[in-house]
Amino acid sequence: MFIVNFLIRRLAQGVVIIFLVSFLIFTLLRVIPGDPVRLMAGGMAPDHVIDQIAEDMGLRDPIPVQFVRYMGGVLQGDLGQSFIRPASGAAVGGASFDDNTRSERAEVFDLIADTAPFTLQLALLAMAFALIVALPVGIYGGLRPGKWPDRLALYMGSLFISLPNFWLGIVLALVLSVNLGWLPAIGYQGFAYTILPAIVLAVEIAPFLIRSLTVSVAQNMRENYISVAAIRGIGHRRIVMAHALKNASVPLLNLLGVQFSMLLGGVLVVEFIFDYPGLGLLTINAVLQRDFPLIQGIAIVTSAAFVVINIIVDLAATTIDPRLEY
Amino acid sequence: MGTSLLDVSNLTVAVGEGASAPRVLTDISFTLEPRGILGVIGGSGAGKSVLAKAIINWLESPLRVVSGKVIFEGRDILTMSDRETRLLRGKAIGYVGGNPSGALDPTMTVGSQIVEKLQAVEPGTSYRKAQERVVALLDAVRIPSSDQRFNEYPFQYSGGMMQRAMIVDALVSNPRLIVADSITQPLDVTVGAQILKLLRELRDEFDTSILFVSNSLPTVADVSDRIIVLDCGIAVEQQPTADLIASPRSAKTRQLIDELPTLWAHDDRSRLKPASENARPIMSVRDVSRNYALASRGLLNFGPKRILQAVRHVDFDIYEGENFGIVGESGCGKSTLTRLLTALEPPDTGQITFEGKDIFGRGKEGTRAFRRRMQLVLQDPYNSLPPRNSIGTIIGEPLVIHGIASRNERRSRVLEVMAEVGLPASLYEELPMVLTAGQRQRVNVARALILEPRLMLMDETLSALGQTEQGQLLDLLEKLQAQHGVTYLYISHDIAMVRRVCARVAVMYLGEVVELAENKTLFFNPGHPYSRALLSAAPTLETRRYRSEDCLLDGEPPSPIDLPSGCAFASRCPQAFDRCLIENPRLQSRGGLNRAACHLLDSENTVPKEVSA
Repeated sequence: MFIVNFLIRRLAQGVVIIFLVSFLIFTLLRVIPGDPVRLMAGGMAPDHVIDQIAEDMGLRDPIPVQFVRYMGGVLQGDLGQSFIRPASGAAVGGASFDDNTRSERAEVFDLIADTAPFTLQLALLAMAFALIVALPVGIYGGLRPGKWPDRLALYMGSLFISLPNFWLGIVLALVLSVNLGWLPAIGYQGFAYTILPAIVLAVEIAPFLIRSLTVSVAQNMRENYISVAAIRGIGHRRIVMAHALKNASVPLLNLLGVQFSMLLGGVLVVEFIFDYPGLGLLTINAVLQRDFPLIQGIAIVTSAAFVVINIIVDLAATTIDPRLEY
Repeated sequence: MGTSLLDVSNLTVAVGEGASAPRVLTDISFTLEPRGILGVIGGSGAGKSVLAKAIINWLESPLRVVSGKVIFEGRDILTMSDRETRLLRGKAIGYVGGNPSGALDPTMTVGSQIVEKLQAVEPGTSYRKAQERVVALLDAVRIPSSDQRFNEYPFQYSGGMMQRAMIVDALVSNPRLIVADSITQPLDVTVGAQILKLLRELRDEFDTSILFVSNSLPTVADVSDRIIVLDCGIAVEQQPTADLIASPRSAKTRQLIDELPTLWAHDDRSRLKPASENARPIMSVRDVSRNYALASRGLLNFGPKRILQAVRHVDFDIYEGENFGIVGESGCGKSTLTRLLTALEPPDTGQITFEGKDIFGRGKEGTRAFRRRMQLVLQDPYNSLPPRNSIGTIIGEPLVIHGIASRNERRSRVLEVMAEVGLPASLYEELPMVLTAGQRQRVNVARALILEPRLMLMDETLSALGQTEQGQLLDLLEKLQAQHGVTYLYISHDIAMVRRVCARVAVMYLGEVVELAENKTLFFNPGHPYSRALLSAAPTLETRRYRSEDCLLDGEPPSPIDLPSGCAFASRCPQAFDRCLIENPRLQSRGGLNRAACHLLDSENTVPKEVSA
């Protein structure tokens, strides 16, 4: 019963959030200077053609009208068509204002559906790398506060967080791909292409995980129930594994949710450096091309992903710590 | 000593290394027989908790055993390996501490953690068998609907319930010894009394010996066969309980006994000033209620709002120049009532008048004027003073707030008031850190007094002080009353303190005033069963006029969120009958100013059940 209530309530809140995000993005895109029709039809197109196309596409209607029309489509699963990209793949634009193939522009939904799996794969691998490092370092640091494992966790975190991702990406590509030839770096032709950008991202997020783990494990080890457990005759290993780590996992879980949302929505720099065909690269190109429907589509999809991830995290957290239900 | 279970000899514990390290325990020796209950009493810092921990080999650095032996069933606990101690602690010796709320992992059910412990100390026990045993024990300590409680989380247990669960946790492995360290300290007196009763029964039922550590002599005397008195780490006296009380040998024991307030003996109560017949009320509380709406757990926050009824239909008068007391245990609505009486919050219904005027009736200015004539003195002497302001500034601040007196006048007024409450003028520029607890409370009193209030509300003001300091502060308050004609309203959980000072007392239970009585009536002929229960549980060595066995059923106060329809006390009242479950009794007069809310008063003959002395 609680689960159903919880899901309905959170999903309803999520719909409101997504709606607000869409409205904000939609309005801002239309208020900023720059006419997408000019970009689409090409600099050479006569003004009346531009007006004609804009009229046909409804771009001269009042913004609320456009928004309602757009959301009507979204509700039916139609995110619209890209202004710029053709379904076939070749770039449209330039002087092609009289090109008949313009009607076959790519569906935004398809563009996102094609790239999202790459970003998801990158995000999951980066998360896995980060956890492989952060879990042992963070937990051990939390169990030995003030001793060398604690200091190791601190120094490692400080080091990682001070490395700029674009610099690290370039250096790793130079060393591991160019000099050693171990890993491919640019583009995507197979799973191996995910590894380098994932390492860069893992280095970026690991310090947060390490710090959170060290602090919460250390804090839980000082709790009364931990010291009492030893008096109650429970073994040290069980105290750590079953009790301290379980309690310390709630803040970690929240952090993972935030970090994962960030990985899905905004790995612009890293995807750009490695020319990795994910949502980040798609976003950059869409922004540069003023491809309104595509930007809107990405915004809606990523905010929906935020909402879903948050619901999953909160649900997992209440399963671990039932006090959070109240 | 072949028969003894626990044999402690010449135990000395120090803080830190080296021969000159300060000693926390010096040369402690005692034995505990099977089925015996040994009490350990001492003030704070006497070393009683260290002793309890030494017995289970739980001393953490810098604490260190210098010498001595703790022989349990023929083996020295202090020389055992870690693994042996672990099994011994869980299996043969159970430990129950004074902080039940933090003693279990908050993310696991209470039942599963007790099972976990049993399986850790008795490997090979199946979950099902362990569960059966735990549920049976939860029944034995009278936790209602134990099957269901087994699957609940620690945060769903109240303090008293949790303490019972921890006793089950200690008992589950059939230990020969239970070490109970200050287990009733965080509990309300009526709940603590139930736990003590439970311990005695468990000793009889399970043949367990108990080492009972506490700082309250009446509590220790209540359960123990023998008592050790600790003072600064030295056992100053060790005697069977009755002998210790009757003929104490050490000065420390005599001091502990003399310090105890009495409820019924010494009937001369010079501090009590009964309200005179023609006194007029300074403050009138008329049918005041305060509810708090809690977030609903329903869908999208719709659905029925849950209402917490903090204060319900409270109605009384405080007469000029008297000492009026409000007593009750945690959750009875004292704090909410304080907030209402000081105009921090308006009541939902009802009216509070001060000197004939509604305290909320005249807007912000009116409330400010009211606050000048009615001042609050707080409970905690440590957190109620800003640490970085000088004492003179603190005492003078009310003058600034109310915009009275110029800078120069302020200084002389502050010094005047400081002299009046017995603070030397040299403290004017000092910071509060140099003050003792008693002096801090004097600063608090001075800070209130400087506005020349007519009514002073003392919210647990004396609770944090020792008996001697309490007496001194009471003398001061009495003197101030004689000089300025101030009226005092005491709010407290301490019924013995109320007995000392309050001419009239209101007893609160779950938001209601269940009895309003003159001092003597309340203590010698109480009209409400809850008043009798409070008296039966009060910490005193006197022969009790009321025994908790007769006055209190097991169980705890119901939640103020889902109040039962009838009398709120019915679930714990030994004399409850059908009508109590349906109809909430109203306050009715018992002659004079005495009133009580109980259906039994309709047929007076069934009431007082006294112990024949």
